[in-house]
Amino acid sequence: MEEAESRRPGDKRGDAMRGRVLVFPLLAAAFAGAVALSLSVGPVPVSFAQLFRILAGGSADGVPGGETAAKVILTLRLPRALLGGLVGGALSSSGVAFQALLRNPLADPYILGVSGGAAVGAMTASLLLPGDSFLPLPLCAFLGAALAASAVFLLARRRSGISRERLILMGVIVGAFLNALIMMMVALAPPGRIPGAVYWLMGDLSLGTPGRVGLLAPYVAVGVALLVLLSRGMDLLLLGDEAAFQSGLPVERVKTAVYLTASLLAGSVVAVSGLIGFVGLIVPHGARSIVGSGHRRLLPAAFLLGATFLIGADVLARIAGPSGELPVGAVTALSGAPFFLYLLRRNGGKP
Amino acid sequence: MSVDPLSANNLTFRYGDRDVLAGVDLRVGEGEVAVLLGPNGAGKSTLLKIFSGLLHPHAGEANVLGLAPSAYGRREMARILSVVGQDPPLDFPMSVEEYVMLGRFPHHGFFGQATAGDRQEVDRALSMTSLHELRARGLGELSAGERQRAAVARAIAQGARVMLLDEPTAFLDIYHRVAFFEIVTRLAGTFGVTALIASHDLSLCAEYGERIVLVAGGKVQAAGRPEEVITEEHILAAFGVRVVCDRNPATGTVRVTPVRRGAEKPSDRGKGKIDEA
Repeated sequence: MEEAESRRPGDKRGDAMRGRVLVFPLLAAAFAGAVALSLSVGPVPVSFAQLFRILAGGSADGVPGGETAAKVILTLRLPRALLGGLVGGALSSSGVAFQALLRNPLADPYILGVSGGAAVGAMTASLLLPGDSFLPLPLCAFLGAALAASAVFLLARRRSGISRERLILMGVIVGAFLNALIMMMVALAPPGRIPGAVYWLMGDLSLGTPGRVGLLAPYVAVGVALLVLLSRGMDLLLLGDEAAFQSGLPVERVKTAVYLTASLLAGSVVAVSGLIGFVGLIVPHGARSIVGSGHRRLLPAAFLLGATFLIGADVLARIAGPSGELPVGAVTALSGAPFFLYLLRRNGGKP
Repeated sequence: MSVDPLSANNLTFRYGDRDVLAGVDLRVGEGEVAVLLGPNGAGKSTLLKIFSGLLHPHAGEANVLGLAPSAYGRREMARILSVVGQDPPLDFPMSVEEYVMLGRFPHHGFFGQATAGDRQEVDRALSMTSLHELRARGLGELSAGERQRAAVARAIAQGARVMLLDEPTAFLDIYHRVAFFEIVTRLAGTFGVTALIASHDLSLCAEYGERIVLVAGGKVQAAGRPEEVITEEHILAAFGVRVVCDRNPATGTVRVTPVRRGAEKPSDRGKGKIDEA
């Protein structure tokens, strides 16, 4: 798509200038639209007008079922939409970071096995820690994510560097191993010890309570802020390690910071919403085709686009199931796996 | 007395047990265009990597403006010395202008915005390499020659006094090779940039290089003006190839022509050889 666009060099600058101004308002509008859709769709239908009145703090007087609608929206659907936004934005930002770190457009926390590591970390914590202590879960998931990422990097590394296909292969292998650990944990855990484990493993946003949104928000805020600070460094990493070093970048320090931050984002998200794949793969590509590869613009664009995408996928998951809802991870994987195949084939021709 | 931009004293570097560089001495003066010649694996790239601080010597020293590369901060070093190496990245969409702007990183760092001065430097680099028209193009849509020029433009935008170039013309046709050497000569002539170029292009190096350093077997075999270094004996010793060195009738510089094995006419032996005087 992008190639077709840039084959007309003549008026590209004008287009680019117009695009620059409009991109972020449009992305924000799309995000707001997705949130509104997510709030109005469900067993209790709510019109956009009602929705507006409820969100504005007005009473739902005179509307049949107004009280219920207000309650459903404020305590169930709004936290869920916000959680979807945080998770989608964080996964996309994490994907952007891993892709820059590895100079590999196929990288994504799910494919790299990083999400699997986070799941093992979170499950280990919930098995070993007493009762319903939820607070340490994101940190344990972060630890698991960072360990899995290190394992994949080390296994994929050769003296000549890390090849694209080898990295993906190692991610798949480490991911399969971690998956086996997860299945063992689910099978051997005492009943009720990991509540909702199966759904959680398929990627689940129904746990969106205000408490969980509040728990995840600081991690995502810190992670995204750190990545924004590192955005110049990520731009230079795209040149390759040697060229980045010769351009004045403290490469090892920047790479370590990017790797830890991307693991933090992926890990904390997994702790709250389970394994949601391919968001970190699809969304960065879409965002790059809109704003280019410069990370100062790419990161916010990917965050907004990712939030919109996941909220939209969640709406689909809620209305598509004939009886009850589908796990949102199934919806993202349904669209993501073919997309991954497309990217792999398109990149296959390159050296 | 000014300090030499690049100097090496008894420089030694090993990969495992193999001495890649074994006591290399080298000096490149301010504003000089010097060329590193030598067979594949002679250690030319290794030498450039030591000067840029990517590798550290096992013995001896390599200095940039009188100090070891590791004595500089990363960004400080990048403001002094730039490198034209591998091709630009093609995996991610990036315009020529964005790519060249990355060369300004040592000047504005992680948080600074691109200033009017930065944009001016980028413009200068783009016009020196005749890439103005292509600035909005994606790197992936450029030809090999244009990509190479973009890499040079990024190094120019870096605004460094010293430039290292590792086989920059390897994949270029003769038009682009000449264009490339013209750009480097202009940088040296106009802005006093010191350039060290690793190359395999004997005749072009003789034409444009002010100083030739012939490296083989980890040692400097000869160094000096083109006609002193590019001789039939030196080339035979370093590359194991019989060549004829004569003068380019148009410019009077050394011209190198390989001699096909067994195709030599007995009567031509010694003809066209440079006068020793």
